[in-house]
Amino acid sequence: MGTPVSPDPTPDGIPATTTVTAAAAAATTVTAPAAAPGPVAGPAAERPPTGHDGRYLGRRRLYLRRFWRNRTAVAGVAILLLLVLFSAFGQLLTPYHFSDTDFSALTQAPGTEHLFGTNQGGNDVYASAAHGLQRSLVIAVSVSVLTVAVSAVVGAGAAYLGGRTEKATLALIHFLLIVPSFLVLALVSHKLAGDWRVLVLVLTVFGWMSTARVVWSVSTSLRERDYVLAAEFMGVHPLRIVLRHIVPNLGSLLIVNLTLGVVSTVLSESALSFLGFGVQTPDVSLGTMLADGAGTITSAPWLFAFPAALTVLLTVSMTFVGDGLRDALDPTSTTGAAGGRR
Amino acid sequence: MLRYVTRRAAGWFLVIAVATNATYFLASSFLDPRSNFKELRPVRTDEQVSRALAPYNLDPHEPLLHRWWDWLSGVVLRFDWGRSPVGVEVNGEIGHRSLVSAQLVIGATLLSVVVGVALAVHTASRQYGWRDRAAQALSMALFNVPVSVAALALVLLAIRLNEQAGWHFLYVAGERSPDVEGFWATLGDRAAHLVLPTLTLTLTGYVGHHLTQRSLLLDVIGSDFVRTARATGLTRAQAIRRHALRTALIPTAQSVAFSIPAVFTGAVLTETVFGWNGMGQYFVQTINKNDVHGTVATAAFAAALTAIGAILADITTVLLDPRVRVS
Repeated sequence: MGTPVSPDPTPDGIPATTTVTAAAAAATTVTAPAAAPGPVAGPAAERPPTGHDGRYLGRRRLYLRRFWRNRTAVAGVAILLLLVLFSAFGQLLTPYHFSDTDFSALTQAPGTEHLFGTNQGGNDVYASAAHGLQRSLVIAVSVSVLTVAVSAVVGAGAAYLGGRTEKATLALIHFLLIVPSFLVLALVSHKLAGDWRVLVLVLTVFGWMSTARVVWSVSTSLRERDYVLAAEFMGVHPLRIVLRHIVPNLGSLLIVNLTLGVVSTVLSESALSFLGFGVQTPDVSLGTMLADGAGTITSAPWLFAFPAALTVLLTVSMTFVGDGLRDALDPTSTTGAAGGRR
Repeated sequence: MLRYVTRRAAGWFLVIAVATNATYFLASSFLDPRSNFKELRPVRTDEQVSRALAPYNLDPHEPLLHRWWDWLSGVVLRFDWGRSPVGVEVNGEIGHRSLVSAQLVIGATLLSVVVGVALAVHTASRQYGWRDRAAQALSMALFNVPVSVAALALVLLAIRLNEQAGWHFLYVAGERSPDVEGFWATLGDRAAHLVLPTLTLTLTGYVGHHLTQRSLLLDVIGSDFVRTARATGLTRAQAIRRHALRTALIPTAQSVAFSIPAVFTGAVLTETVFGWNGMGQYFVQTINKNDVHGTVATAAFAAALTAIGAILADITTVLLDPRVRVS
């Protein structure tokens, strides 16, 4: 069976994008056989895959090339990298800690002493921004990873098992999509929060449905594939079929959803924290900083401007990366293909 | 058609009922009205607290199922949604608030759909033209702006505009002016207050409809029936509007119901920013005050809004989709 971890590069794994050209689809599907097994879109492959003499590109190199050709996606990666660096090392560049209070400088405008100014309590906005961005990023990435994992297993499992399980799962998904989940989210996280790890858990529990629905609809066609049938005849356990034969073939879909999930989590985390139901006061996130700045928007606009700019930069860059990945991983897309070239 | 819609409406009613009851249990287990008494001095004994809460059906010593049954029979028989921990009737609170929020949410949803679909039709027929690219870029940018940021940015802009014009014509706080009398004056005043919050929700809400509708339209624009329509002498724009759009609208109509929870979330944020006394603000307030009944009523309100959107979507589907009309 080889290594079933490597995703199938056929177009079925990805929902049809707007730019489908049948010719390009046929051409890329034929000429993009799996050469290098391994996770998609991992770090850059340094060497061309052996044994092909440059006639075929390795899949990773192919994806990387297509991704690299997309200028907005590259800009997205650059901004994202800067933001990650800022969140990781930004606090080292300032003598202040985000919880330090400077009583000689309350609500001070940006200047040399405090780079981004200070808030009403005398906290340095620069230090808070670095810490808040880090907190928001960590929450967003972990929620997104967990959400994608849960929705992949649930969606693919429901599609594979079929019958009553499928019906019940779909009913549950639809119900949860309709229920005002934000209310429940606020209710639950208000009592348990303060700790961001609880927030991660709560956001995951109420965030997996829409991805699971997409995964389910794509998996319904995967379950009819011959290799699934072959695995069944070999007596492979259903759970194993789902995890090793169906889920890996959703690879590109899941990766795209992973990045877009980060965007939506940042948005809902900042909404919750803005209302005071998310991250709580001794801790700082972008949402709590926005809430801080909301009250003094005319008298101290910098309190609002810096977290707002960071939040928007983070979501915009993530969306660019997600769109770039979608175009790069989707063989039917012409955006990454640059006029028919691969 | 009537049978189809009634059947769907019954289904939605069931969903509201289940969601509301589930919220009751969740709220009862996560909100503890007793903690409201912790700050009081002299310190109240457990018994005193129970006695204070008992008349409002919030006594934690009473079994949860008993409380639930009392609450449920109150709602079903008298449409009485209970009382807050200090005895304020929930019905009195949600009466005017629900109207205020409903006009915000429904107005914003309708506007979002109209703007999104119109923009999609306009851009899809000019795929990769500069207007398409500009609209796409704008939508992508707006898609990424948190509602709170959008609302506050609009507040800043409105204040700036008011200063420039020297005339207070954009309202950034409250849902009405306190000193306006007369029917038409009140109506105009309400409408003027609605402008900015609705604009906030529309700007953040139309994006989804625009992007999905555009790609749905592009999928059908090349199909045979659109070409046939053009062959009968319709212009390209007419063919798209009368034939392509009709098919492509069905999934959008269905997705409206799923978009309403997001609009309601946005409404909670906008009401907080614009200082409206609506359901969103009430929701934040009730959670902070451990008001179980108020929270449940808000959840029921949000679920009801979703159901209204869903039923409207169902009716639209019936009008658009011949397959439903036949069956």
